[in-house]
Parts: sequence; C-alpha cells; structure tokens
Amino acid sequence: MHKTSSLSDLGFDAADASSGFFRPVADDSTHSSSSAPHRRLTKVSVIGAGNVGMAIAQTILTQNLADEIALVDALPDKLRGEALDLQHATAFLPRVRIVSGTDHAVTASSDLVVVTAGVRQNPGEARLSLLRRNVELFRKIVPPVAEHSPDALLLVVSNPVDVLTYVAWKLSGFPASRVIGSGTNLDSSRFRFLVAEHLDVNAQDVQAYMVGEHGDSSLAIWSTISVAGMSAFKSLRDSHHSFDEAALEGIRRAVVGGAYEVIGLKGYTSWAIGYSVASLAASLLRDQRRVHPVSVLASGSHGISDGHDVFLSLPARLGRSGVLGVAEMDLTEVEAAQLRRSAKTLWENCQLLDL
Amino acid sequence: MKKEASSLSELGFDVNFGAGFFRQVPSSESCDGGGTQRRRRPTKVSVIGAGDVGMAIAQTILTLGLADEIALVDADAHKVRGEMLDLQHAAAFLPRVRIVAGTDVLALTRGSDLAIVTVPGARQQVTMELLRKNVAVLREIVPAVAEGSPESLLLVVSNPVDVLAYAAWKLSGFPASRVIGSGTNLDSSRLRRLLADHLGVGAQDVQAYMVGEHGGTAVALWSSISVGGMPVLSYLQKTHTSSSSSFDGEALEGIRQAVVGGAREVIGLKGYASWAIGYSVASLARSLLRDQRRVHPVSVLAKGFIPGDDHQVFLSLPARLGRGGVLGVAAGLELTADEESTLRRSAETLWGHCQALGL
Repeated sequence: MHKTSSLSDLGFDAADASSGFFRPVADDSTHSSSSAPHRRLTKVSVIGAGNVGMAIAQTILTQNLADEIALVDALPDKLRGEALDLQHATAFLPRVRIVSGTDHAVTASSDLVVVTAGVRQNPGEARLSLLRRNVELFRKIVPPVAEHSPDALLLVVSNPVDVLTYVAWKLSGFPASRVIGSGTNLDSSRFRFLVAEHLDVNAQDVQAYMVGEHGDSSLAIWSTISVAGMSAFKSLRDSHHSFDEAALEGIRRAVVGGAYEVIGLKGYTSWAIGYSVASLAASLLRDQRRVHPVSVLASGSHGISDGHDVFLSLPARLGRSGVLGVAEMDLTEVEAAQLRRSAKTLWENCQLLDL
Repeated sequence: MKKEASSLSELGFDVNFGAGFFRQVPSSESCDGGGTQRRRRPTKVSVIGAGDVGMAIAQTILTLGLADEIALVDADAHKVRGEMLDLQHAAAFLPRVRIVAGTDVLALTRGSDLAIVTVPGARQQVTMELLRKNVAVLREIVPAVAEGSPESLLLVVSNPVDVLAYAAWKLSGFPASRVIGSGTNLDSSRLRRLLADHLGVGAQDVQAYMVGEHGGTAVALWSSISVGGMPVLSYLQKTHTSSSSSFDGEALEGIRQAVVGGAREVIGLKGYASWAIGYSVASLARSLLRDQRRVHPVSVLAKGFIPGDDHQVFLSLPARLGRGGVLGVAAGLELTADEESTLRRSAETLWGHCQALGL
C-alpha cells in the first residue's frame, strides 16, 4: 500500500520547504535561539485502536484537549488506517499532531495514557482465565508505557476495569494518585440521564452517583440525587405508586443494563464511553478539580481494610496531578456493607493474579 | 434481547409528578400563553443512514454543538436504536440535545433544517446498475424528506456524490440552491494538510481547492494555492529544483493522485473511512446552519460556470454557503486549458449518467 501521509513520502524534500517562504525575525546576536525553553505540548496516548479507543481519541481531538495524540495497537494496518483517517480530518481542526505505531515508544512523554486494550473472551472461557490473559497483555503494555512517560497519568478503561486498574497500578510502579479507572463515570451519566428526562431538566443539573464495582454490582447512592439543591429522593418516592426497594432496583438495573442493551443492538458501545473518558481527560489535563465517580485506590475507605489494595469507584476530585482527593461519602450501613462485599470479591480476584 | 427501560415512567414512576418539584412562575390572564407567539424552532439535523459515515457525522455534529435536535434514520431498527442510546447515555457530558431514531423517514425527519443523506453505501466500482440501485434507494427517501421538511437544506454524502446530488435535487423538487453534495470538500482538506505540513503552517492558512467530479478525476487548482497571501506553486517550483524533488507536472500529478486516493487508502487499511468525512460534513453543516458565508468546494449545480459547458450537472466548485444554502458559486476561476477541458469532460460524463437514470 502506497504510504502517503506527507509530501516527503512522495519524494519532496522537507528540509528546504519553508526556508525562504517564511523567514524568521532578525535575532539579536546576544540571544541564542535555543535558550528559550519551549513549553511542552499536551500529549495524550490511547492504547488500543478499536471502537472504544478510537471514539475516545476522536472525541479528545474534536474537543481540542491535546496538541499531540499517539495511537498504539497490535494490528498495524488497522492502526495506520485509523491514524490516517484522523490525520485527514486535521485541516478542519486546530493543528494537532497525530502519530501511531505498534511500538510503545511512540507514547513517550505523554501527559495522559488511556488504556483500552483487552483480550477477546474465548467461547466458554472462565472469568479467571480471561483475567489472567488480560494481565499478560497488560504486562506487555504497562511497563513500557510507564518507562516512556514516567510522569504520566494512567487511565484504564478495559474491563473488568477495577481489577485491571489495580493491575496497571502494580505494573506501572506509579503512585496510586496517578492511576485511575473509568469506573462508574459513564454509569452515573446514564443514571443522571434517566432522572433528568423524568424531571425535564438538563442532565448536568442532576447530581447523582453510582459507585463501587463497575458492572452488575455497582451501587446507586440514592441520597446523592440532588437537583437545584433539593434532594430528589423524596420526590421520586412520592411519584411512584408503590415505591419500594424493587422500584429503586429497577432504576439501577436499567442503568447497569444500558451498556448490554447497546451492545445487543449495535454490537458494541463507543460514543458514550468516548465522551465519558474525554470528560475525565478534560478534568485531568486542564486541572479542573471536578468530581467524578472513577475507580481509585479505595483501601481505608468505608471500612475497607487498609491492606486490601482494591480499586473501586468513589467520587474523586481530579486535576493535573491526578486524584486530588476521594469523597468521604455518607453511606448507609447497608450501602457501606455492599461496598465492603465488592471490595472483598475484588481483593480475592487480585490476589490470584501474582502481582 | 432484553429491552431496557429507557425512562423512569416505564419503571412505574409518574411522569406528571415533576410539577411539584419545579413550580411555574405565575402567569397573568392577559399574557400570551406562548402558543400563538412564533417561537424560534430548535435547530434540527437529520442523518439518514446510521452506518460508519452517518454516525461519525452525527457524533461530530453533536460534539460541536451544532444542533438542538438530531434524528437518526436507518433501515436497521436495532442498529439505529443502539446508536441513539449510545449517544443519549453521554447526556451528562454534553449540552442537552434531543436525539430520536427509527426507520420512518418522514416521521423522524419532519421539520429538519438540514437533512444529510449517507445512504446507500457504495464500496465497489460504480457501474450503471449500481447507480440505478442507488437512485432507487434515494427515491424511497428524498421525497419523504422533502415532504416533511419543505424548507430544509439537503446535503448528499453517498457516492457517486455528484450524480446522487443531482438525483436528490430532482427527486426533492427543491431549488438547486438548497441541494449540495459533499463533493471535494474533504479532498481539498487533504491537499491543504499535505501542503501545510510540508510548509510547517496550519492547514487553515493554506487556501487550495480541488474541484470537478469527486473521485479519480478531481482537478487540483494549482494556481489557486496560496499561503500567507503568497502564491505557493511558483514558489515551490522555484525552490525545489533538484531532480529528485522538483515540482514539475509529474510531481503535481503524484500529489493529486495521493489526495484523491486518500479514502481508498484508509478503506484498504481499516475497512472503511469515517472520521475525516465526519469532520468534513460537520464543517459544512456549521457553515450552513450558522450562516457563516464560508467558501467550500462542494458539489453544486454547475450549469453555466464551466466555460464551454452548459450541462445541468452537479460537480464541485468553490461555493459560498450560508443559512439559505448555496449563496453563490465562484464565477471568476482562472483555469488553465487543461483544467477546463478536464472539467468539461467530467460534466459530459456526468451528464451521460444522469440522462441514463431518467430523472
């Protein structure tokens, strides 16, 4: 296949290109042209150029969050095609450098590395076996990425996200404040969307958190639902003919089932997780101090044993240096117990992974 | 497959209760209830075809905040519902946009400001038979769109875009100023990017137009290229004089081929092309919906603009785009004899196709 991403690929010498066409301003001889330190550009790397990785990369590009984007994947043709497809779009956008490669060296000096890579489940494969194969994949990815970008923030999206965020933390050697998982950030958005539609308000005006283990056992913290400074829980109760645990569980299941429904209909999910992760990227890279429910090191919270280094989702303040703090939520005893139960299961899984 | 509840009312929560949560301001009797007053309608964009191209377009339009309402239409009911949910689930991360989806073209697209047609997909070489099939698909769609949105702008993306834009124009009964094809907008942007990277400038500072028939025979208007107010071609020819990298005719043709072959290259590598056309069409959508008066090379009714040609065909020329559609087409292009004859040849070929379709 004819490689044509630049005129130099077509035989034109790039070295002479702009000299003469644009001339630098006359420099004072006392100044050395290389003395001024250049402010580094913001670089985001996305590992995995599948539907999820590319939706994330493209949303980050459209929202102008990075000056340079690096894509990494094991399939060289697919990777190059995706990089080219984005490069072809760059004339419509502010100048962004897009690089790609199957070698992690291309991610060097990243400010943020997003990991979406994961192995495909074999028919009938047991969860533990799948998990172990994902760990082996992460062993190939995380150490080189950490070495090439020792100061980066690491954001894990691959599932099961809580366990794999723990794995990435262990393999990277990074402080826990620089390693997060996308966790229940998107589940919470689905939760807020349902409540917002019901109340006919903008979803951004609905505060509502889903926490804990991302997936079937995530927890909806009903007391956190608030709109216009009012708790919406009482209103929900008053509007249901037989408000009970089952009614609440119905909402929670609709949220958790949302991803499965999309997968059943279109084969995979992409856009929503793309926006979710781009939103996290914006909070991190632009030091927004926003609170997002994301998978963080939760040991010591809510009675989770200090020695159990599990990652699970709690509302966390995110900024340029990563996790600035984790909310000390007011959970009911039932909620705290459910959280501890998830933590126990997650810890058991983590212990089986030899990390 | 389990259909999840997509609203709290489906889960038994009374939708009318919200009245107690937020109370309306008192309204006086003499006040107009708001119903008779003409309220500015929300901006609605419909995308017909929820494949890779259609969805990249819809998602980019959503991210850029260009529409208040987006309708997705596709023959595959499950697929299009899945795509709608995937966008709706991101509600917490975006300004509020109403998103609807389904298979009924008329019902879903009613009241559109802009309707974007991305069907049918054409992957293989275009033959007359394929062309007839494609027009048959448009016959099912375009009249319905026109009926439900008689004031809408119509933007055709499906290939071969010039013939299909012509077909859509005929089938809609719209004035030609309200029908355009995405044409060489993306090809031109590829050319600009190649040149921009080479010169170390931002692509937005490179003016360069590819015109004519979208595809292998698109024409690069080399004399039109300028950067920072300077004509680029003569400069490049002066500075690149070594035998290995001179800007002679052969070299220029090499660049042109690389540009028009761009989509094919991406398709060969990843199986389809989506992101770039998504941005290209979103860029057109912005110029149209926000009345930007920007000049884009897009497929328009070219009759009278090519010297020596009078055919009623659509092909790409630099056109000023705004809320009313095509506000004007470049009438003073300085074309070389070769460029003129290529365009005339394209117009004739396209006319042959259009006539054979009996529209």
